[in-house]
Order: sequence, then structure tokens, then C-alpha cells
Amino acid sequence: MTKRLLAAALVAGFLAACVASVLQFALTSPLILAAEKYETAETAGPALAGRALSNPLIVLAHAGHDQAGHDHGGEPQWQPAPGLPRLAFTALATLVSGVGYALLLGAVLVATGRTVTPGEALKFGIGGFLAAGLAPAIGLPPELPGIAAAGLESRQLWWVATALATAAGLYLIAIRRGPAAIGIGLALLVAPHVWGAPHGPEEISAMPPVFAAQFAARSLAIGFAFWAVLGLAFGWAWGAVAGRTGHPVRSGVAA
Amino acid sequence: MVAITRSLSPALVGERLSAVLLAATLGVGLLFVSGFAPVVALHNAAHDWRHSANFPCH
Repeated sequence: MTKRLLAAALVAGFLAACVASVLQFALTSPLILAAEKYETAETAGPALAGRALSNPLIVLAHAGHDQAGHDHGGEPQWQPAPGLPRLAFTALATLVSGVGYALLLGAVLVATGRTVTPGEALKFGIGGFLAAGLAPAIGLPPELPGIAAAGLESRQLWWVATALATAAGLYLIAIRRGPAAIGIGLALLVAPHVWGAPHGPEEISAMPPVFAAQFAARSLAIGFAFWAVLGLAFGWAWGAVAGRTGHPVRSGVAA
Repeated sequence: MVAITRSLSPALVGERLSAVLLAATLGVGLLFVSGFAPVVALHNAAHDWRHSANFPCH
């Protein structure tokens, strides 16, 4: 079963990453590049990012690079070359996340003891989108580089807590059922947003607002496509892997 | 699926648990590397994906 789970997750992660990568290249990467032009235009140069600003509260997107660079004596940090290498590394990161999410999806499906079919896995995939995509985006909307934001660690902590609470809430509501489970589940769905996401200073950027709006909507759309393909592909691959390796076992039992 | 594996061998209950734990551990590890790791090179390589996937970035 371990091999079957790992194989199905690899296939599903790969297929979802293919779809999400193409969508990113078409929809979000051009917006990120456009936003970076405004980002560099607003600062006196990449090396001075975050320091040349009149308001020290602004945390510019790539100011983090420079802060991290202090650890290495201010050396320029490695980053993928523009153009094709950058797209390739984006696709690679998408693949790594895709396999990671597929492994978690498979682990949840197997742990809950569901019969894994494409339809059932799709439902869990949509749950994954709600937990890891939509719910965190309510408090921390998808951001373009160069938008002021609160400290990274506090946002990461809130993101993970929100994803976990939403996943647990959906599990209680959709699978456990029962009045008490539904009550606790609803409370878990709402709690992160009542607590509130960490927010940075509100700053007016030179970047046209339509870029940020387009980016947020496109990012969520890509997230939905990613999770839907991930779920469907996992359910399909789960059956396909068994079709190749599991048949002799089943026929042996039948005989 | 579960009913089939249980009828094959009771040991598969333990195997099911180990499969779930292994997959969950690997999955969290891969997500950490691609979405959360503070290492600058990893961040820069995964930068555009982190923004698109709405992982907190920067």
C-alpha cells in the first residue's frame, strides 16, 4: 500500500503541476514581472531596497533578500536567471509542492478509510483547495511582489494554523457529521478569521490596483484547477497503479 | 479498497498506518522545502510559485 500511495501521489503531483505551471506562465508570471518593474522603480536600486524608502515601516518584497544577505556578508544571493530558467524553477517548485500536497491528500484519503475513486478524491481535493487555498486567502490575499506586508513568520504561522483548522473543520462537518462535530467544525472554520490575520502597514503603491486584483483572482483560479486535477489524478492513478501491480493478488484471492 | 486489503491480511492495518505516516511526513517535508523554507536560494528558486500559490513570501 505504501508503494501504491507514493506512486499515485507522484503521478497526481506531476499532472497537477503540469496544469498549474502552464496556467502560471500564462496568467500570473507576467503580472509578477510587471510588479517587479514597479518595485525596482520605487527603490533606488535592488541593493538599497527597504532602506531608500521614506517610510521605514514598508517591507518591500525583496528587502527580505537583503536582510538575509547580511548573514553572508552582503554577497548577492543566487537566483534563477530571467527567462526560461526562472520559468523552469517555478515549474520545479510547483512539482515539489504538487507531490507534497498529493502525498497529504493520499494520506488523508487512506487514513479516513475512504474508497479511493476519482470522484471521492476530487471531493477531498476541493477540500484541500478550501483549506490551503481559499481560507488563508481570506486573511492573507495572494500578493504581488512589492506590496507591504506584516512579518513573514507571523504570516506563515497564521497561514499554517488556518489551513489546519479549516481542514479539521471540514473533516468534522463533512465526514464525522453529528451535531457536536458540526458545531466544533464550524467554530474551527471561523476561528482563524475571528483571531485575524497579521496585517502590514497600508501603503499606496505606484502599481495599478488592477494588477493586484487580477493577481489575487488568477492565483485562486490556478489554485482551484491545481487541486481539482490533483484530486482527479490521484483517484485515477490509485486505480491505475493497482491495475498493474494489484491484479495478480486479487485474482489469487478470487481463485 | 480498505475492505479488500483487510480481507487479504490483517497485517495491512499496520501497513496502512505506516503508509499514511510516511506519506504525511514526506508531504510536509516537500511542502516546507517548496513553500516555507527560509533558505534564500530555495526562496528565490520557488519565488513565483510561492506568490501564485499564496504561500506567505518575503
